[in-house]
Amino acid sequence: MRFSRRAGLGLAIAAGALVALGGASSAAAQEGKRGGTLVAAFSADPGGFDPARGPSGMSHVVIEQVYSTLLNLDENAKPYAGIAESWSAAEDGLSWTFTLRPGLTFHNGEALTAEDVVYSFERILEPDSGYAYRSQIETIDAVTAVDDLTVRFTLNRVTGPFEIYMAFPGSSIVPKDLVESGWDLNAQPVGSGPFKFVSYTPRDSIVFERNGDYYEEGRPYFDGMVYRVISDPTALSNGLKSGEIHFSNEVPPKDWNAITTQAGMVDASIEGSRYFWMVPNHERGTLGNPLVRQAIAHALNRSAIVRGAFYGQATPIVGGVIPEWNWGYAGLEEFKPEGDIEKAKALLAEAGVAPGTSISLTMVSSWPPMMSMAPIIQANLSQIGFTATIDTMEVPRYWDEVWGPSNFDLTVMYWLSPLADPDDFVTNTYATTSAVNVQKGGSKKMDDLMLAAKSAVTIEERKALYRQQQELSLADMDVIPLVNGWVLTAHTDRLKNFKPMRTGFLKTLKDAWLE
Amino acid sequence: MLRLVLGRLASFVPTLFVASVVLFLAVNVVPGSAARSALGIQATPQALKRFEHQHGLDRPLAVQYVEWAGKALQGDFGTSFQNAVAVGPEVRKRIPVTLQLAGMAFLVAIAIAVPLGLIAGFRHQTGTDGVLTTLATLFGSTPNFWFATLLIYFFSLRLGWLPTGGYTPYLEDPVANLQGMLLPCIALGVVSSGLLIRIMRTAVIEVTFSNFIETARSKGVSNVRLVTAHVVRNALIPFFTVSAVEFGFLVGSVVIIEEVFRIPGIGSLVLVGIINRDYPVLLAAAMSITVIVLVVNLIVDLAAQLIDPRQVQVAR
Repeated sequence: MRFSRRAGLGLAIAAGALVALGGASSAAAQEGKRGGTLVAAFSADPGGFDPARGPSGMSHVVIEQVYSTLLNLDENAKPYAGIAESWSAAEDGLSWTFTLRPGLTFHNGEALTAEDVVYSFERILEPDSGYAYRSQIETIDAVTAVDDLTVRFTLNRVTGPFEIYMAFPGSSIVPKDLVESGWDLNAQPVGSGPFKFVSYTPRDSIVFERNGDYYEEGRPYFDGMVYRVISDPTALSNGLKSGEIHFSNEVPPKDWNAITTQAGMVDASIEGSRYFWMVPNHERGTLGNPLVRQAIAHALNRSAIVRGAFYGQATPIVGGVIPEWNWGYAGLEEFKPEGDIEKAKALLAEAGVAPGTSISLTMVSSWPPMMSMAPIIQANLSQIGFTATIDTMEVPRYWDEVWGPSNFDLTVMYWLSPLADPDDFVTNTYATTSAVNVQKGGSKKMDDLMLAAKSAVTIEERKALYRQQQELSLADMDVIPLVNGWVLTAHTDRLKNFKPMRTGFLKTLKDAWLE
Repeated sequence: MLRLVLGRLASFVPTLFVASVVLFLAVNVVPGSAARSALGIQATPQALKRFEHQHGLDRPLAVQYVEWAGKALQGDFGTSFQNAVAVGPEVRKRIPVTLQLAGMAFLVAIAIAVPLGLIAGFRHQTGTDGVLTTLATLFGSTPNFWFATLLIYFFSLRLGWLPTGGYTPYLEDPVANLQGMLLPCIALGVVSSGLLIRIMRTAVIEVTFSNFIETARSKGVSNVRLVTAHVVRNALIPFFTVSAVEFGFLVGSVVIIEEVFRIPGIGSLVLVGIINRDYPVLLAAAMSITVIVLVVNLIVDLAAQLIDPRQVQVAR
């Protein structure tokens, strides 16, 4: 509770400003053209469509079209009104009240009321729910329906990213009566979002049709959408080149130039929230020593990795993992993009590591960027005196034999933050309690810092704390940041008013149209 | 004839049983975690345990097999680990797609192999034979996915005549269906024809030099009749038997071709089942391929019997 007391001070000001923000949405943009079917391509199958389950990013890009959330995020990850037309926080920051738009309906015609909102959150809060993003909702003590259109959340701790969480696809509102009658949302999602779910054929497509009763007048513009699942990168590129596919935000890096230089194709790529890091196992040999981890971090030529593994479509991370476009960016310049072999050697000598010490790098054979960066990393490790070997493994074995039991010296992983809140960039990777912390690192100091940063009220306060967190992360070098990948988005020039999102989400498609 | 069909159908039972046991073992012996594949990197140990318990993966293999087989016999193949899709209906929906693809590819292979094989056989040890034999080797040793990529490059991206992939159901739009199927069928069919050309050629040569042809020729049978009624008809018998086996291979090779051309058949299910360790999907898809191969072999045996009634004795 130490944090909430401190947090309370700034909140009164914030709360007043928020109500005013409530009505503002991107609806003021110019009017578009109705009709047409957008064909978009993705590389992976979704893992079901129940917001309480859907563990994968591909599930979420379907869920966000079919369901609604209290708030939405715009292209810069700023919250704006969703089905809640206004919302406010109490002075102590421990209670949030949302007022729903009147007359909302689900795709099955049932009315959406405060009861459905309460039910949706109670469903994921249940201890047995198996909800994969529990860390987002763990500060919620109670959700109550004040009346048909008013919902109140009671928190046990001030939660900085609370509004962002309310816009997350996992926080989608589900129809209470339908779900209680035994309907399986995982197979047949029913929500109140811009598009109705029509069908899903594994390894082929997901089909949507326009929701004529969507609460934003005139939106969406498309009559329907087809998400094609094309796991072969060349097949995906061919579909874009031939015009059969209108849109993809997973353009294979190897084909990026060929596709975006083609006439009629728009380059809409932005630096995103997917970053890659190297995981040093703190329980293996000399890797328990922070000096050794720092040495490896300085030895890596991140520019070469960007060129060799990402065809230039990534940014080297030279400091903490929070990217430059995010407000939590600390501007630390710890590493040289092309590496610093001399500094790395000096650090290794200080740590007392004998030349020729062997070290292995375990990579997933089916992830092209991992395979391409492996020899670069191996060469950098050799330059500072390690005898480095590369092991490769296909992905299900990797989960089971390498990742799960922390059975590696070094490996590489990536994380696409679906939230674009600084907490989401760091807590997963650095918290001692995180399932992703397979490096077996972390400290109480680090955990406390991240909690303080998450629970502070003003952005300035949070920003200062994330700076400290990132400085500590570089001193401990729990994991070794590598590069931040871009969201490689290309689409036909017939698609208008599309605003790419940093997170790779596509909620903004409801505001776009085909000409 | 009826006895042959019934006998063969009865032999399906042990074959399918053995195939299912082997498949089940293979799927489970292969290392890799189904739970983690389904739940992703954030999954906690508790979540993984719960998943394995929910899907019965924490029980002995024999128990799992009996339960799976019992349900499968009633037509229930369970639901996918990755999503809530019911596997049985999904596979049934895809069987016609794969059959169309493999069937049309088979026709392409036959249409290439029969004329070229006959010509090579009749002209054997000539320049024509040399060219055709080389061509057959070339066809047979080309990887079909590589050939497929070339076809896409020329016919779809360069010339823009045909789509780069995708599938339209025949009943929805026959023209679009055939346009989409053309390149994958050519890719599969041409590669398959490699072996078949050589089989046809060898069969023709063998028949041409057999005693009964000599006899027929000395009896004064006309050249045309000699070729059509005696040589070709007899040469088709071994050709048919081998093509049945080749069709089995074709059904197996659709796995990669379906992926390259984005065709929602059984092959793409096999692939996704392996990659995600999605056991219900993989087992149902692989078993359906087994059944298809068995049925096709039965049909070819029956067809072979029409050409050569002696085959009945052999088959029994």
